[in-house]
Amino acid sequence: MSENPFEVLKEDMENEEVYLKVNAMHRVKVVATLLGSDKIKSQLIPYFETLLKKEDDEVLFALAEELGNIAQIIPNQSSCLLSLLEQLAGFDETVVREQAVKSIAIVCGFLGDNDIANTIVPMIIRLASNDTNFTCRVSAVCLMCPLYARAGNQKEKIRQKFTELCSEETPMVRRAVATKIGEIAQFMDKIHVIQDLIPVLKQLCQDEQDQVRLLCMESLMNIAKILNSSENKTNILPLIIQSAEDKSWRVRLALSKIFADLAEAVGKEIADSSLIQIFSNLLKDTECDVRVIAVRSLARFIKFVSPEKLNLIVPLLQLLSKDPFSQVKQYACEVIGQIATLLPKEYSQSKLQQYLIDLMADDNQDVRRNAAKSAGQFAAAIGPEALNQFVPFLKKCMDDPKWRVRKETMQTIIQLALTVKNPDVFNKQLESVFVMFLKDRAAEVRSMGLIQLPALIATYKQDWAIGNFLSKCIETLSKDVGSLYRINALYAIQQISFAVDGPIAQDKLWPIVQKCLKDPVPNIRFVSIKVAKSLQKKIDNQQTLNQIKQSINELLEDPDRDVKFYAQEALQN
Amino acid sequence: MQNRTANSKQTTAGRSQVQPNTTTQQPRAPPQMVQNMARVTDPKHVPKDTRDQFLKKIHFCSQPYDFNDDTKNVKEKQERSQYLQELFDLLKEPNFVNNLVVPHLDLIIEMIEKNIFRPLPILKKTATNGEIGMEDDDQLIDPAWTHLQPVYEYFLQLIVNEQPDVKSLKIFITHSFIQEFLELFDSEEPREREYLKNILHRLYAKLVPRRKMIRKAINDCFYTLIHETYKFNGAAELLDILASIISGFAVPLREEHVIFFKTVIIPLHKVQTCQFYHEQLLRCSMLFLSKDPTLATFLVEGLLRYWPFANSAKEVMFLNELLEVLEVCEISKLEPLIPKLFKRLIKCIAGPHLQVADRAMCFFENDYFLTILKSYKPFTFPLLVPVIAQIADTHWHKVLQESLNALKTILKEIDYQAFDKALNTKDPKYLYIIQDAKNQKKDRQKIEEKWKNLTKQALQKNPNFKEPIVPYSDTHIVGEHNGLNNGNITIL
Repeated sequence: MSENPFEVLKEDMENEEVYLKVNAMHRVKVVATLLGSDKIKSQLIPYFETLLKKEDDEVLFALAEELGNIAQIIPNQSSCLLSLLEQLAGFDETVVREQAVKSIAIVCGFLGDNDIANTIVPMIIRLASNDTNFTCRVSAVCLMCPLYARAGNQKEKIRQKFTELCSEETPMVRRAVATKIGEIAQFMDKIHVIQDLIPVLKQLCQDEQDQVRLLCMESLMNIAKILNSSENKTNILPLIIQSAEDKSWRVRLALSKIFADLAEAVGKEIADSSLIQIFSNLLKDTECDVRVIAVRSLARFIKFVSPEKLNLIVPLLQLLSKDPFSQVKQYACEVIGQIATLLPKEYSQSKLQQYLIDLMADDNQDVRRNAAKSAGQFAAAIGPEALNQFVPFLKKCMDDPKWRVRKETMQTIIQLALTVKNPDVFNKQLESVFVMFLKDRAAEVRSMGLIQLPALIATYKQDWAIGNFLSKCIETLSKDVGSLYRINALYAIQQISFAVDGPIAQDKLWPIVQKCLKDPVPNIRFVSIKVAKSLQKKIDNQQTLNQIKQSINELLEDPDRDVKFYAQEALQN
Repeated sequence: MQNRTANSKQTTAGRSQVQPNTTTQQPRAPPQMVQNMARVTDPKHVPKDTRDQFLKKIHFCSQPYDFNDDTKNVKEKQERSQYLQELFDLLKEPNFVNNLVVPHLDLIIEMIEKNIFRPLPILKKTATNGEIGMEDDDQLIDPAWTHLQPVYEYFLQLIVNEQPDVKSLKIFITHSFIQEFLELFDSEEPREREYLKNILHRLYAKLVPRRKMIRKAINDCFYTLIHETYKFNGAAELLDILASIISGFAVPLREEHVIFFKTVIIPLHKVQTCQFYHEQLLRCSMLFLSKDPTLATFLVEGLLRYWPFANSAKEVMFLNELLEVLEVCEISKLEPLIPKLFKRLIKCIAGPHLQVADRAMCFFENDYFLTILKSYKPFTFPLLVPVIAQIADTHWHKVLQESLNALKTILKEIDYQAFDKALNTKDPKYLYIIQDAKNQKKDRQKIEEKWKNLTKQALQKNPNFKEPIVPYSDTHIVGEHNGLNNGNITIL
């Protein structure tokens, strides 16, 4: 019972399989708990030191993680782990380094502000000044962010070192700085951000490597968040303008990606006065990938500018909806749908409607799909008068050769029906499109209609369900179409049965089902059994109930095994 | 123009309808200009109009055009091509180079920079949404290439030309120039990379004072590949250059170069895309080893450390390299690596992939390797013999089974007694390599029991203790890869 935990660990680490050693390493927590802080210091840490030189990266990765866990066991003395972690932070292997940095942050969580200033800051500076190993400097940059806030009177030293590293010759370090500059800014006083960080950010934004400039974009946004409008105008806006004209399309793409967030960060005023113009250029970029990403951001961007400025974007949308690259058009559809909810009705109707209708007939199926989707949003925003225009085209979309387009259209129709809530409009315009799901040749589309049926019945009531709709179902059932269609119609009848009263179920629905119980296709027979079962629950009339029972009973002798099974099941309950 | 680039035209036929009728093309290298220059001896007295003409052409060629669209600026592009050709031809006139090119090197380099330093395009197979899984032939053509090629050609000839001396060139080849130049190596256009390689090679040869800087920039490129991006199209080309740089290193190697070997050459093996440059990497490694054979053990260690996972093609490459490197190793220095080395080989032989197993078997045909095996008999025999003996009986592939049996014979011949002793060991330690997970679990039972007890104790000591999550269970893929769930081998 009384094994020495340290010996067990050592024994397991003797194993030659790396994965077993990794496992053992993850159990260090157990050992550390049992050993207590003194022995951790005197036994465990010296042992780990020996591992650093000889172990595989995988094991060291586990070690770096576990050191963070040990820190939680001995919170008051966790600084003894720092020397190990410092070494790991300078390792070649990226994952080991990163994990070590994380664990150092955990250790720092247990340290007092004094310790931070006296031990951690010198450690960071030491790492940052290591000229032979760029990995140390990268780790130092990563450590500066979480610890800056607690560095007390040493803050200046860190700031100085950070800005120093921005002019590094090694591109890896510059890339690390470019990624982190936005993060560290969150912890700094505004005055330092403007005095110290903005100049180096400017410098990084003009870096010779496009990779560095690209990484600056996210940081740019983060810094914009902490500055006020006028500070943004003088400091950030010139950088945005410059990046939007960057010669590397990768930078322009990165900027396009965050443009909406950037607009949110700098505020409405700048967004209105300057960003729309800059963004327009990105939307017209020569590189199609930039346009794709830009138009994707556009859908969010329009929420952050004043509605009255939106008319500047409309002409762009007209351009984008004719873009030679189909992905651009695909996302342009979404924007048209969105923007219609923000613009005055007449304006979007006169300027955009035709474009959307054209997109519904595009060559590319993804464009058609998104157009159908946006058409719903558009029509809902404009109101019933727009439906007149759209319904013929939606109907056309239901004849699309691609089922994905039809599915999206079906969804749109249903959404419209549910938002309009106007029986007149529904009966006149939408219903005829909706019932097309009964005859669609793709199961996806058919089940789409089926799933939404209860919601529609709830909105348009029993009258519609047992009136027009039921007659369509009967039509499908009676016509000699494929059995899958008939099954679908049967399930639709089941849905109706949930919503109607007993007498109606008895008079209108049961006769249909009764007929289906004698269908030549076995699958239809057992689906009918299921539907009959749900009818049973509704109907009170004993005579009809007996009839149902009788009919199912007959099927106990059915030649098909599955039909027999369902018949039995139905009679048991 | 048309004659010179005939080669590149053929490959891009159909794309370059830039010059529909160029029958009225000017004669190559305007004779008048050359004649004028022939009389000039002093650079200060170049006729003004000749100089102006020259500068005008340089300036014209510095203008950016959209080369991706053949329909735009057709006339200008045509003119530009012609000028570039003229400038190129003039490089052949020594007088001209001395008196015009060298004094205006700043403008010329600027022209080159403006042309070639550009954001690299992503070459799309087709602009429309092509179907996925279409034939994957290497038809990646940068439409701008026809227009870039003359600039590269010009740059190359400029460096090759002997008249611009080191001093005047040196000023322009700055750190940032080299860094931007190296970034172009990521181009997907192989012909561009070829030019880049040749130019950088010549630059390195010519600009002795810039060598250290160039090496450092190349290092940074590789660090990025190893630590950040994991993919770099020009890695093979850069290694090509390095190979000739390395062969020029003086012996004994300077510490800087040894560090390079350890921090770049060895870790380059672990990169996922290693296959694309392995041939060149191997050449560099072997060149290093020829300069300093003691580095071989580090490389062996590195290979064993970065052994590929679930990538049999790469495994075969590693095996090839390993054997070559082992031949350079001093046997006595190998001792600490012997267990890892032989275990790896056994895993390859017992593994599920036939080619890997076959390649590993080839080691035993190598005399030097057999010497290593014999020198460390006390270790290698107890490891090899029980495993080989068992899979020789049970291996699923007939040919491999035969060679395993042959290997058994070889081992027997080396030392019959040791063979027998190893075969009859009671509990062969390394048999687990070919055992399935169940047996493996049984072996682990004792120590797992201990861990369980310890965890209980820890819980008693600290009620808030959370049980550690152990990442690899015995059904885990790592176990399978290590031959633990090896279904190919049945154990009695």
